[in-house]
Amino acid sequence: MERHDRTMGLLSALPVLLVLLLSFAAPLLVVLAFSVMPPKVFDLAHMPDFSAYGVLLSQGYHRSLAWALGTALASTILLFLICWPLAYAMAKVFKRFTLVITVAVVITLFVSENIRLFGWVLTLMKGGLIEGHLRALTGMSFEGALYNVPIIIFGLVYVYFPFMLFPLVQGISMVPDDARQAASDLGASKWQVFWEIDLPLSAPGIVVGSLLSFVLAAGAMAESKLLGGQAVIVIADEIETAFTYGQNWPLGSALSIVLILIIGSLAVFGVSRVDLDSIMGRGR
Amino acid sequence: MKFTRRQFNKAVIGGAGLAAMGPLGRAFADRNDQMNILCWEGYNSDEVLGPFRSAHSGATVRAESGTSDPDMINKLRAGEVNVWDLINVNQPWAKAQLYPEKLIKPLNKDRFLPYFDRMLPEFSGPYPLAFADDGELIGMPQRYGPFSFVVNTDKISREMAEDQGWKLFLDPNMKDRFGILTYDNWNIMHMCLTGDQNPFEPMDEAGLETFKGTAAAIFGGAKLLTDDLVAMNTALINGEIDAYFTGGTYTASPARYDGATNVRAITPNSGPVDGKGGVVWIELTSAVNNPDPSSLAEDFLEFVQDPDIAKAVSFAEGTYNPVSQMGDEAVFSKFDADELDAIQWDSLGEEMARSLDYQVISSYDALNELYNAAKRG
Repeated sequence: MERHDRTMGLLSALPVLLVLLLSFAAPLLVVLAFSVMPPKVFDLAHMPDFSAYGVLLSQGYHRSLAWALGTALASTILLFLICWPLAYAMAKVFKRFTLVITVAVVITLFVSENIRLFGWVLTLMKGGLIEGHLRALTGMSFEGALYNVPIIIFGLVYVYFPFMLFPLVQGISMVPDDARQAASDLGASKWQVFWEIDLPLSAPGIVVGSLLSFVLAAGAMAESKLLGGQAVIVIADEIETAFTYGQNWPLGSALSIVLILIIGSLAVFGVSRVDLDSIMGRGR
Repeated sequence: MKFTRRQFNKAVIGGAGLAAMGPLGRAFADRNDQMNILCWEGYNSDEVLGPFRSAHSGATVRAESGTSDPDMINKLRAGEVNVWDLINVNQPWAKAQLYPEKLIKPLNKDRFLPYFDRMLPEFSGPYPLAFADDGELIGMPQRYGPFSFVVNTDKISREMAEDQGWKLFLDPNMKDRFGILTYDNWNIMHMCLTGDQNPFEPMDEAGLETFKGTAAAIFGGAKLLTDDLVAMNTALINGEIDAYFTGGTYTASPARYDGATNVRAITPNSGPVDGKGGVVWIELTSAVNNPDPSSLAEDFLEFVQDPDIAKAVSFAEGTYNPVSQMGDEAVFSKFDADELDAIQWDSLGEEMARSLDYQVISSYDALNELYNAAKRG
């Protein structure tokens, strides 16, 4: 009877299941199919010629890819260093104050990313909030802080802060205090406790936070456009240009596929290294 | 939970019923009570759509604004010809891509040709680029504007900028003093003009080499790149930069109307193509080749010729632009002195005379590759 139930359930769920699977996979498959089409075509009824991948290699797109991955890596490392002490305090020290910080960080997400970044432009530009006040009060002046690579990384750190912070808090809260105390009792230094207890036991949180921030930052372009004045061109920007001004859908698709493959393999590698069930609250 | 045969049958029958409703529902729909327009900002504002909705109560009028011509064209190419009734893009895209690919269709000449008579002299001819090569009328012109570059006249005088023209951006003194507004198709055209080349003629190897050099020099001298005209005007007003490459009344007018009249769009005095160095854009609003057309589409095209609505289109939110209907006194009288100053009416006629019509860039693909390579640095 139970088997019969299960079969019936599966059968009636099948249409919805197929629709869900199709709606997830279909766009990716279309992008994949377009990426092997000859240049400048707008449908899939052509012989595949893979020429878009050739253009990708010959036209120096690797530089944009390297900038996107490089700035994403730098911002992820910075985010980890900045968020760790705060996450530790939120998980182990602050108690009820944690809620205040959580609400404060979450509230920033209610405002669109572009508006928040434009706020930074008005703050940091020449004649903006900082330089303008300094000039009015002291007569001293300096060039604005915008339109360079460090400010792009700053933008990424600012925007993706919550995506690192909350998984870290979750990860650190999984470290049992007993283990930390036992290590101290057995003579471990603070550094050893951090390196041998805190880090390994909170690894699922670290991996989730790092993956989220890295993946989002690698595909970001608002930071480089608004704060960075496109001091460097990132891969997401190239993809947009190929689809719009270039009117070259196969090239845009090929660039997207390369980015998806790189980020996808990193994600699979990262996730396979830790026990994600523990952070999801299962398997305990 | 038990799952009975009866429940299973119900689910299957329900699903089948829903699936059958889809195609049936379509057959009964009457599209003459719908009108969907895909446009640059302005046509989607309440000042324009509100009166049209009141005049056609019961009709569903939808508008969506795009952020670039190719963005909007991508939507039609991706199958949205079934959705939209009108599309509003710059004329070369309509003529070179939309019409040949049958994404738009000709307008009724008997109905629309008389409107050209009341337009400004540049358009009353009627405007030749509103017609396809086969002579069909493919769209109605309304907003337009010279589009070359913009300076802060407190730092660079209008006379000097007009005399120096595009060479201003190759001047070593200008290094790190200008921005590039990344409207890429415009920049390609303007970089050709900077290098004394004709963007509308096919380019040979030597020509491409010249373009490569110009693009590298201009990107090399730029302090910032952005596709956001507000960010660019802000940088200009605050002194981060003194000029920006690619801009015109369309980008300068919001700053000017806010009181920053030192932001001024410049059209060079001379240039390499028939002695002209400036370029003018002209939007065409065209009927989408929707397989299930709505009669409201042409009604709307007629509706925006009305003086009040033409003024509303001209001064809709975002950017302010002259309209071809300003040749009609009834339309012109709706503009006050500040509004005319925002769109640089004082010099508009002479700037138009020094400007080339924005056309299809002959070697666009090859130039676009070189342009993007230079942008990457």
